[in-house]
Amino acid sequence: MAWSLSRNARLFALAGGAALSLGNARLGLSQTNGGPAGPRFVVVLDAAHGGEDGGGQVGASGGGTGEAEKTLTLALSVRLRSLLTARGFTVITTREGNVNLTADARAQTANHATASAVGGSACISLHASEAGTGVHIFVSSLAPGGTGRFLPWKTAQSAFIPRSLRLAGTVNSALEHTTVAGGGAIGAAGADSGPIPATLGRAALPGVDSMTCPAVAVEMAPIRGADRRVVTEVTDPEYQTQFVEALASALLAWKTDLETDGPRAGGSQP
Amino acid sequence: MIPRYQKIVVLVLLVVSIGMAAVLVRLRERAHDRLLKGEDLAPTTAPAVAPAEQATLLVANDMDGAMATEAQSLPLPKDSEARARALVERLLELYAEPGSTHPVPGVPRAVLQVFLLAAPEGKGAPSAGQLAVVDLAGGFADGHPSGILTEALTVESICATLHANLPQIAEVRFLVDGQPRATLAGHADLTRTYLTGDAVGGSQPDGSATTP
Repeated sequence: MAWSLSRNARLFALAGGAALSLGNARLGLSQTNGGPAGPRFVVVLDAAHGGEDGGGQVGASGGGTGEAEKTLTLALSVRLRSLLTARGFTVITTREGNVNLTADARAQTANHATASAVGGSACISLHASEAGTGVHIFVSSLAPGGTGRFLPWKTAQSAFIPRSLRLAGTVNSALEHTTVAGGGAIGAAGADSGPIPATLGRAALPGVDSMTCPAVAVEMAPIRGADRRVVTEVTDPEYQTQFVEALASALLAWKTDLETDGPRAGGSQP
Repeated sequence: MIPRYQKIVVLVLLVVSIGMAAVLVRLRERAHDRLLKGEDLAPTTAPAVAPAEQATLLVANDMDGAMATEAQSLPLPKDSEARARALVERLLELYAEPGSTHPVPGVPRAVLQVFLLAAPEGKGAPSAGQLAVVDLAGGFADGHPSGILTEALTVESICATLHANLPQIAEVRFLVDGQPRATLAGHADLTRTYLTGDAVGGSQPDGSATTP
């Protein structure tokens, strides 16, 4: 407890546009369409884990070896970045390869990128798991609050909770428009096609809790039937395609909402 | 030639020696009998166990990310710390059972200890309730499935179960093998203080997180 108190006292997130050190984070900028004032709208994609931190092992329900979570999240990040770039987004990624990144470094990358966005932003942390079914959408469990120019580093996200919840709702709505094998299997024994089942929740998330942008952690899990057996693995190409396209649609809808309602509705400023 | 009085003395000493030996043997036998009589030869009584009580466990379900209330009859010790440990142990045993709604591999003695302390005072506010420090076994944390949902549900169900049975517990912190640990299995933050009960949805000034 003493450690966290002293750390809170020392580290602050500059929510008003001041630059933060990027440390050893590898930052990928796929497009910069802004002038000196910065891009209008920025999406930050955080592929979870990396380097020595492999995360969990996913896609192994069928008896195979599966693959490391860090590999899957990076692949999803690359695919999503391509989709978003093609739609005119400015996309920042926290990592472009298999590198070690601390939670603080990820938040620093996101905060630096979104501080200069004048038209709003969204931060997506990509995860994968073998537990549960469908897609799990998480928002930080911090209580809303913390408005002001200086925010405590470990709870900087608290100023963005209402907007993060709205972003989670937008992602959830986009998933309802997908169609994937097994998506209709919840509550039925068959493997009917249907939308990807989604679960919304709140959790204490290192990294996301320090981000000064509307942020959600999206966890991709296998789709299971009512008997809990895996119907569609996370490594299924069609499932992955539906997943990244749903996220791209959600971000497009989010951006459109901001342009309609103004950046204060979901931008980077608390 | 041996004088007659010496013969008599030797004889008397011999008789006395034999007599003393007989008395000693007899005394030894009587002492042995006394010891045997003093022993309780009845079968060893079973150790005193706590009476079974109704306990409420908040059992997680990975399929919908929710927790369901499950009433169980458990032998719970009177001591609050031992009672808290028994409750969490039972919850984690449920998760290790086949067909569990929240499968987590079990290990012997998954909960090393639960300490109950007075909750630290907030800024200008008096201490309210107790802080439970749950010390998990390293084997349990190392074997826990990786993922935000599964890890968060484990943490939250422990917090909710403790609060449901020991309402004075307002905050929960976690250790693994007696040491602070960043995450349970790569996702759920274990450096935070988790609030329980009525405090759900709130946050402490020091950055404590809450259970959703």
